[in-house]
Amino acid sequence: MKSLTRNKEIKGPKLGPFSASKTKRVQSPLSKSDSVVKVILSLFGFISASFIVFILFFITTRGILPFITNNNGLGSVNFFSFISGTVWLNGPTFVSTAYSAGFLIINTLYIAFLSLLLSFPIGVLTALFIAKIAPKHVANFLRTVIELLASIPSIVYGLVGVGLFLPAIYSFARSLGYSSGGGSGTLATVIVLALMSIPTITSISEVSIRSVDESLEHASLALGATPTQTRFKISLLAAKSGIFSGAILAIGRSLGEATAVSLVAGNAKSGPTFGLFDITSTLTSTMLEGLKETTGIDYDIRFSVGIILMVVILLTNFLLNQLKNRIGHQYE
Amino acid sequence: MNKIKTKDTIVNVFVGLSSIITIVALAIIFGYVFTQGKDLISFDLITKDYHARNYVAVIENDTNQTFEMPSFDDEQVYVSSRYGIALIQSQDLAGDSVIKVAYIDENSPFTTMINQDPSKAQISLEEDAVVSRITYVNHPSSLTNKGAQMMINDLNDPEREIFEVMFATTGGGIRGSIITTLYLILLTLAVALPIGVLSAIYFNEFAKKTKLTKVLRNFVETLTGVPSIIYGLLGISVFVPLTMRFTPASGSNLIAGALTLGVILLPTIIRTTEESLKTVSDDHRFASLALGANKTQTTFKVVLPQALPGILTATFLGIGRIIGESAALIFVLGAAIKDQVRILEPSTSLAVHIWSMMTDEPANIALSSSIALIILLIVLVLNIIIKLIASMWLKKGQV
Repeated sequence: MKSLTRNKEIKGPKLGPFSASKTKRVQSPLSKSDSVVKVILSLFGFISASFIVFILFFITTRGILPFITNNNGLGSVNFFSFISGTVWLNGPTFVSTAYSAGFLIINTLYIAFLSLLLSFPIGVLTALFIAKIAPKHVANFLRTVIELLASIPSIVYGLVGVGLFLPAIYSFARSLGYSSGGGSGTLATVIVLALMSIPTITSISEVSIRSVDESLEHASLALGATPTQTRFKISLLAAKSGIFSGAILAIGRSLGEATAVSLVAGNAKSGPTFGLFDITSTLTSTMLEGLKETTGIDYDIRFSVGIILMVVILLTNFLLNQLKNRIGHQYE
Repeated sequence: MNKIKTKDTIVNVFVGLSSIITIVALAIIFGYVFTQGKDLISFDLITKDYHARNYVAVIENDTNQTFEMPSFDDEQVYVSSRYGIALIQSQDLAGDSVIKVAYIDENSPFTTMINQDPSKAQISLEEDAVVSRITYVNHPSSLTNKGAQMMINDLNDPEREIFEVMFATTGGGIRGSIITTLYLILLTLAVALPIGVLSAIYFNEFAKKTKLTKVLRNFVETLTGVPSIIYGLLGISVFVPLTMRFTPASGSNLIAGALTLGVILLPTIIRTTEESLKTVSDDHRFASLALGANKTQTTFKVVLPQALPGILTATFLGIGRIIGESAALIFVLGAAIKDQVRILEPSTSLAVHIWSMMTDEPANIALSSSIALIILLIVLVLNIIIKLIASMWLKKGQV
């Protein structure tokens, strides 16, 4: 399979170090006005590309302020207790600088992991059904369902979470003998995030399952494997790398989701929370809390949490991509 | 062999079950939003103000005629035929006991009152308005806490002459948030479309395949993975101060919100436009160049018009994103619901309106669901439009 795709790539003109301009799609000498236009257009290209730099620069410069300044005489925030502490604000507001986001990091990762545990099997199996089993019109219907789920704004997921899931979880917890804070907490957050991740996982998995080389499947069938065995042991395994990419995207979305989470998490001020029915809080839900302060450390600390959030997302992405590269290539 | 069969069956059941779960999830979300939100959907919802307004008014011509009143089944409704008005004991959204107007005759003295604010405008009591107090000349006032029956009894008392009426319009409309959302859509697209489309043209038509181009592309792609709450931080640290410097705005404002949304949309617009630029056949480019057009003319007069479906798709995708975006806007615009929308002041979009009400105590789920229903309908329509564009485009490609 690999050699096939390689051949395809080679079909095009071979690129030499000096023939780069010849391979450009449309080659023509640029007139003077063209050069001016090109410069103007490149400016727009640079502007578009510069925003990620802006984001990183401004959030970092703002976010490190609480650690390096003395916050108008309140004293600076200790970085190590910030990333390891278990209470959001240890002391009264406006005068204390004992902020900690350590438990938030654990909560955020824990919730994202649990929601993936729920959404991954559902998403992948749905993708398998759409790609390999369902008749054409059923597959098209399911694709529309997935597209619609993907286009529902997160605030609507939050609303349904509050209106529908919280009461249900509350009475479920009560029937088990737990008292939950109106149903808000880890379980509610996990369910809402799982629902939001399913379309991401399904749509990406479906594409990669469909692009599995059919000859692999035919070989498996010819060797006497049942269609179901073939689907699971050949199609799914061969599409592993794509499915993994879907999961990585989904977990990235779960880690960064804010409004829906803030509505159902319960906004705990300390942690970490591992109990399914206990109220919890994440990096994002904490950033949305108490937006009224507009100056000083209570405001800047949000940028610090923002830095932590980006580092968590980048690290998770990096580690999962490493994992993907290690186990990803089997039938390729 | 049988063992394999049972195993296969079990596995297949799980596959089917997963698909059913996704369908049920969608059905539950739409079903919940529809059942909770449909009751409040009305023309009033989109034209009325959100905040209740209080008025103090005096009656202009206190007539002593008798009005013919319809009969009411509800036991909580009390009728005054002297003033042509029916009041009902009711509850407001917060669950407090209030007296509302259940019916008002079109010739009732309450329809021609004079507002006691400096404008002295003529004002009318309308159905559903909350009457909080009626004061009389030389008699004690009738108040909310004494109930609708008492208020009607006082009104029907021929000895009493009305001095002032205090009442409040109901509010609960979303006109302000709709206007804000429309402003945001217009402003954002005005900023993001030109930058996005021109960037896409640069990357696809003009840029050489150098390392630098690759890095720039990667930078743009990275924006896709940035969570929207981080864009909110960008908005308050860059765009809000920027707009405060160059406009009279004194704090968060819609322009800063639109700029933030513009950055959020950029990667989508660039990618979608580029994809459609790529589908334009090279033959057309060569033909145009061979006819003596220069690269600029070729790009803007031959290539770009053919990429129009892609730009349209990007526009509609963008509108969907703007309508659904909440986290970034909460940061940049705040969550204070406004009835009078000004571009240089903060206000809420529809999605933020929901968030604002859901974080209130108590949460207003009914009105939130109505707004969510509106958002879902718009998103549905946008999806259909995008599909139509795609299918029309495909057809055109086949010819």
